[in-house]
Amino acid sequence: MNVPPEQASVARAHVMEPGERAIRWILLCGIAVSVALMAAGLVLGIVRGAGLPRGVVPLAELPRALAALRPAAYLSLGLIVLIGTPFVRVAGSLVVFVRQRDRRYVLVTAIVLLVMCLGVLLGKV
Amino acid sequence: MAFVAGVFGSMLGVGGGIIMVPMLSMAFGVPIKVAIATSIVCVIATSSMAQIAFVSRGMTNVRLGMLLEVATTVGAVVGGVTAVLIDGRVLQFCFAAVLVYVAWQMNRHGGDVTPARTGVLEANYYDPATRRDVRYGVRRTRLGFVLSLGAGNVSGLLGVGGGAFKVPIMNLLMGVPLKATIATSNLMIGVTAAASAAIFYGRGYMDPYYAVPAALGILVGARLGPRLAVRLSARALGIIFQVVLLVFAVMMLLRGLGLGL
Repeated sequence: MNVPPEQASVARAHVMEPGERAIRWILLCGIAVSVALMAAGLVLGIVRGAGLPRGVVPLAELPRALAALRPAAYLSLGLIVLIGTPFVRVAGSLVVFVRQRDRRYVLVTAIVLLVMCLGVLLGKV
Repeated sequence: MAFVAGVFGSMLGVGGGIIMVPMLSMAFGVPIKVAIATSIVCVIATSSMAQIAFVSRGMTNVRLGMLLEVATTVGAVVGGVTAVLIDGRVLQFCFAAVLVYVAWQMNRHGGDVTPARTGVLEANYYDPATRRDVRYGVRRTRLGFVLSLGAGNVSGLLGVGGGAFKVPIMNLLMGVPLKATIATSNLMIGVTAAASAAIFYGRGYMDPYYAVPAALGILVGARLGPRLAVRLSARALGIIFQVVLLVFAVMMLLRGLGLGL
């Protein structure tokens, strides 16, 4: 992070802060898991010769559909993981700010997370 | 198409829902709600994938992003609630007008803002285009916060992500260099989009038939976008951004006139 300007051309690689490392790691995992699930869904779809399903599986039915190896279930879960990744990312930032005892940004991040969840709840009504 | 959207979206820090939604619904005959849901998934994919590259280069100002996210998310939620109060058509014309104004302002400024040390939310990154380490601080944080509330509100009202506003606010007003602005905006749009996507999923508008191929295409495209954004000169990036803003403005006008969407 604190690369003196005169060394900048040499030190091209940015040294990540803990917060940045956490974000990168969470996003990498989120995308990897999501792509793996979607790929599994696509393969299952091809194997079963059903092609791509229309419509997602509701959350409540997801475990049973996954156990039944329904392609739609794996595709749905892949989408859920993709959608959930930013939530986890914000939560991860919150943890990092707590560890750094950065009170102001603990508050800021907590508000963001809260409003995100509130938006979801309001949207369901 | 998803690949191209991923490249541009991640290069410019915008989601591109304004273009993606009408394209899906007109060219592919996707029902409008499903088209919106698909485009939101694409925004998340763009944000997550591009952020891996931006964050490891130190281009994203994580704290600034988080601070402004408070404004945009609150604005968006309020916008969703107040949507019934304002005539959508008036809003669409205003949106188009503001986009044109912003593009003109960016054009008038020519190149990028001059980074200045202000002691507020300072950050630095290495710019391969100029081979310099750029150190900058944020100006007018409060005004930027208030305007972000407005941007979030409008995006909640019109159902668009609002990256097109976030970039000019941070760049022109708050003095954040364009590349850091794009990276930070890219981080922010993922948050707003995720909240909306969860709602669309719950209401059953998500269709894997469109969303899965689109997301996979976007993910590939969004690997390329940040590389371009990092390597291109800020000037070239600015010009591309202005053109995209004008395209957005035209799309919004068409929507306001009831043509297309």
